Amino acid sequence: MNLIERLSKLDRRIIFLLVALAVIIPMLVPLNLPVDITKPVKNVYQKIESLPEGSVVLISTDYDPGSEAELYPATEAVIEHCFHKNLKIYMMGLWPAGSELGNVALNQIAQIYNKKYGEDYINVGYRPGGAIMLLSLGRNFADVIKVDYQGVPIDSFPLGKKVKSAKDLGLVMTFSAGDPGILHWIIYFHARYGIPICGATTAIMAPQQYAYLSSGQLVGLLGGLKGAAEYETLVNKKGRGLRGMDAQSIVHLLLVGFIVLGNVILVYQRRKK
Amino acid sequence: MINTLGIWIAAVLTLAIYSFLYKDNPFYKIAENIFVGVSAGYWAVVLWFDFAWPNLFEPLFYRGQWYNIFPVFIGLLMFAPLIPKISWMIRIPLTFTMGISMAVFITQIVQGDIFPQLQATFLPLKDVPAFTIFSNLLIIIGVIFTLIYFYFSKEHKGPLGIFARIGIWFMMVSFGASFGYTIMARVSLFIGRVYFLLHNWLGVI
Amino acid sequence: MKTIIPLIIVFACGFYMLITFFIPARFAQASSQTLQNWYLGVIAFFVFIGIFNLIRINVDKIQRRLRDWQYSFILLFFLGVMLGAGFIGGRDSRIFLYFFENFQVPLGATMFSLLAFFVASASFRAFRAKTPEATLLLIAAVVVMIGRIPIGYLIWHGFPDLVEWIMQVPNTAAKRGILFGIDLGLISMALRVLLGIERSYMGGARE
Repeated sequence: MNLIERLSKLDRRIIFLLVALAVIIPMLVPLNLPVDITKPVKNVYQKIESLPEGSVVLISTDYDPGSEAELYPATEAVIEHCFHKNLKIYMMGLWPAGSELGNVALNQIAQIYNKKYGEDYINVGYRPGGAIMLLSLGRNFADVIKVDYQGVPIDSFPLGKKVKSAKDLGLVMTFSAGDPGILHWIIYFHARYGIPICGATTAIMAPQQYAYLSSGQLVGLLGGLKGAAEYETLVNKKGRGLRGMDAQSIVHLLLVGFIVLGNVILVYQRRKK
Repeated sequence: MINTLGIWIAAVLTLAIYSFLYKDNPFYKIAENIFVGVSAGYWAVVLWFDFAWPNLFEPLFYRGQWYNIFPVFIGLLMFAPLIPKISWMIRIPLTFTMGISMAVFITQIVQGDIFPQLQATFLPLKDVPAFTIFSNLLIIIGVIFTLIYFYFSKEHKGPLGIFARIGIWFMMVSFGASFGYTIMARVSLFIGRVYFLLHNWLGVI
Repeated sequence: MKTIIPLIIVFACGFYMLITFFIPARFAQASSQTLQNWYLGVIAFFVFIGIFNLIRINVDKIQRRLRDWQYSFILLFFLGVMLGAGFIGGRDSRIFLYFFENFQVPLGATMFSLLAFFVASASFRAFRAKTPEATLLLIAAVVVMIGRIPIGYLIWHGFPDLVEWIMQVPNTAAKRGILFGIDLGLISMALRVLLGIERSYMGGARE
């Protein structure tokens, strides 16, 4: 049996091992490769930069543990940028687990920037109902949001009093892993009220969002962990996004190698026949 | 102490799941069953506290909205198949939710997708740089030919066949891009877990 | 009766929601809001019946000593712990969130990350340029994979721009075409359901 025949019968566990090593080694020995910035990511950054001080950014964490690795680093980077720019954050989540994950990031970063709960930021927690809930929310926040995530009446906070309808928001930033998520924000907040929408989505969802980017329904987009890494570069923060990029690079090269090898085997087998 | 224990639990469970890559084994099965049990419990609690209680039971018991007995009854009919005589009644909650979600679907699609996307396809072919004209033309052609591929009322022969074939090429490029992004996503998830093991658990990075 | 009542419900609820979407009058909005709240409450029962069945199947598995029945104990134990922590301690209790953070988060994340390995194995075994269309797909995938990583930028500075163009032009065109196709299909399906032409989702024998 020659080399190509042997390779065609390669045990898949060897492939698994190579993938694992391609991630672990670059994480232990970082290469610190420079990250290029794409236009959709730059658009998110510029949109937040352009908001006047004190504007309210609604951050919606619409994901769960299954996509935490891709979206949590982006959540951290955007929250940090908003606080740095002295913007107010109104956080909520269309997914229950996302709301809990977002709360961790929000509280940690708020402490670093000495931000006051209720005045500079507020978290109204998980808001169930997806499209149906957003339909009511856009009309009147008070219909849907009466208390914050700890059950404290929303009107007892200055920021809670300030946001009464969609029109009081400067921007909606959604971190979205599926349904309900970015599409619903576009439909119920952009199409109906003209509120600008930016999004961070899982890489799987990113290609679909280009249709909304080009129609202007979406201002900017952070696609997957790469999007988070680009944003971290823009806000000068070395977080999990940038740390993961070396490993991402090596694994992609390895997989391209696998694809090429697979096709070399195909050509060989065809010729042999 | 309690946090350290939590990290150890998470790390052991992570490794137990990865042991499946070598071969199916009891450690994986234990972790898998814990996952199903915990997730099911989590969703039951969330749906009770965030959906059923505030929308049905709380208004019924504490706000005197007696008419909320109807949706509670509709919800309970989900269990109708347990009694063969009234098993058909499961159709009531099914049709109730279907009716509302289909209505929401229609408004969603018309308002959010069709009109804005159609508008965005009428791109300028004049007074813009030559390369933009080329790209805009490609988008217009791509959208039309992709749609032609989905037009099944006439056989894809002659010019229609050629257009549909060009539509396929556009879709292939798009699927290729999606495949590339899918790989990116899956690898990112693994990077996330390795980061957890090396940073939070072992503390070596 | 077994068919007529459900069909009246789907028609009435659906068209009432559709109409109130366009009527800003207070009564219309309030009644549609009530219907929406009912909907949210009722969908919770879909999961309750699912959990009821999960318990039933696993208890049955233990009773009949079916294959891997021992693991059903683990499943039921953790289900019980979560239900106990949530319903006794409360939705935001420390113990409930502790189980969420240290069991559900890592297990969920790791389960999905397994796909990285299977996708790698599939790229080696199944991603073959057997036809011109498959070759086009393969080239687009490879260009995107390389152009979206930092090394791609080092190999050729134009890679990110090329990928961005692919995403913005051919990808957008195809995705938009597919979107129109899906949307038109969904609208016709939704209307068929509301008008009672499509009934397969109701299941069971036709009566």
